[in-house]
Amino acid sequence: MSKILIKKISKSYISDFKREKKIAVDNISLNIDTTEVFGIIGRNGAGKSTIIKMIMGFIKPDKGDITIDGKIPSDPDSRLKVGYLPENPYFYDNLSAEELLKFSSTASGLDKEKARKRIDKILQQVDLYSVRKQRLRTYSKGMTQRAGICFALVHDPDIIILDEPMSGLDPFGRKMVIDLIKDLQKRGKTVLFCSHILNDVERICNRVAIMDSGILKGIFTKQEIFESNGMEELFLNVVRGK
Amino acid sequence: MLSGENNMYRKMISLIILSFKEGVRDRALIGAGLFSLMMMGSALVVVSMFMRDLDKVSVDINLSAIAFAGLLLTFFVSINLMAKDIDKHTIYCVLSKPFSRSQYIWGKYLGIMLLIFMAFCILTICSSITILFIKSQYEFYFKSFSWIEFYKAVYAQLLLLFLLNAVVVFFSTITTSSFITLLFSISTYLAGQTIEEVVVFLKSKNAMDMPLSESINAIIDIAQYILPNLSVFDLKVQSAHAITISYNYLFAITSYSLIYSVILLLSASLIFNRRELK
Repeated sequence: MSKILIKKISKSYISDFKREKKIAVDNISLNIDTTEVFGIIGRNGAGKSTIIKMIMGFIKPDKGDITIDGKIPSDPDSRLKVGYLPENPYFYDNLSAEELLKFSSTASGLDKEKARKRIDKILQQVDLYSVRKQRLRTYSKGMTQRAGICFALVHDPDIIILDEPMSGLDPFGRKMVIDLIKDLQKRGKTVLFCSHILNDVERICNRVAIMDSGILKGIFTKQEIFESNGMEELFLNVVRGK
Repeated sequence: MLSGENNMYRKMISLIILSFKEGVRDRALIGAGLFSLMMMGSALVVVSMFMRDLDKVSVDINLSAIAFAGLLLTFFVSINLMAKDIDKHTIYCVLSKPFSRSQYIWGKYLGIMLLIFMAFCILTICSSITILFIKSQYEFYFKSFSWIEFYKAVYAQLLLLFLLNAVVVFFSTITTSSFITLLFSISTYLAGQTIEEVVVFLKSKNAMDMPLSESINAIIDIAQYILPNLSVFDLKVQSAHAITISYNYLFAITSYSLIYSVILLLSASLIFNRRELK
């Protein structure tokens, strides 16, 4: 059963100065199933983040439809069981990580007691428990990224959407995120993420979509990636049109 | 998981508290607070330089300090809170949760108003202490002074800020730059403070030699109805001279502020619903 269904969406932007139309996403259809880890990869400007922003309802597609668990993105309830990590997350920096997570869990409908337990557990998982009362403005980039992952996961969502989750993380941080995603996969969650780091994508995804200049070049299973001598080889071949 | 109305209520409270906490820890708030306290403190010195009307001078300085602090909060803290959300994409943090854009607008506005209300309470207490102290020193001059009229003037100032912050929220939804929001908000404030006098002046027969053309008259009429008349909230003179401000008048300006703010916030919600958050 599809958790996220994208039907023939297109999106273009008008540049501010030259008033030129730039196609960000061109007629893309995707179907992300329950318990699947789905990766979107592509160069800068390929349209990965635009797709994610359309799923989250931040921007509207010019054409096409999106449903999340059967609901359209403009319906706030479509995000009730969604956890989202933006690219380069920037949070309310006068708040502490604990306060931010309290907001996240209350907004997602968790009761106080359950929220407190979840917050403590997830902060320990990402090694931020000892600094939970510090203001976010004192955090390093990697720590902010980990706080962002906690923000996305604290209410134990069924659908997790991560935009460049490895960005700014050191090798330990990356491993931690990979372990977290694998754990989510084991627990039957749907994960959609986009990344530049091909090795990580190869390690954790069931299926991968390769995008270039707003066009979907293909969707590949783990088996197909393996048969193509790895993700890097496959990506370069697909983008170069071989 | 909680459900229904209870959940909705908790969600909105969490958003209001989020905005309030972010604002209360803003450094600009400390600056505005300190400046106002300094103004109130200076009242102690200034008042001693006057030979008469000490009550009027002290009330005027204290009310001006409160009003000025409110404006600083609006033009720096409120605009910063709204603009930062959009410029730095902290808005994603709220809108990735099950909030509609209208809920975001209302939650943000109420959070800012809670902040301004708290700041006003503190400033009013400080003001009252200052006036009490001056009163104890120069009891003779405070025969006609009325605390009730003083607090009515403070309340009117608060109503002005309710409206002005709705203006800030409205402009934040239609512009992409905090500078433009600041510019429009200050312009609205200045126009709102003077519109009544300008209209009376322009329409008075003695103001100009030539009568105004019909189109100019129409523009003035439209501006008069569109721009908020902020001068109705300025009750400093009445309070300083202990002129009774009727409760009917207070009710009228309360309704005016609320209705105007609600219209602005509904318009802001409508516009914001269509806005792309790239």
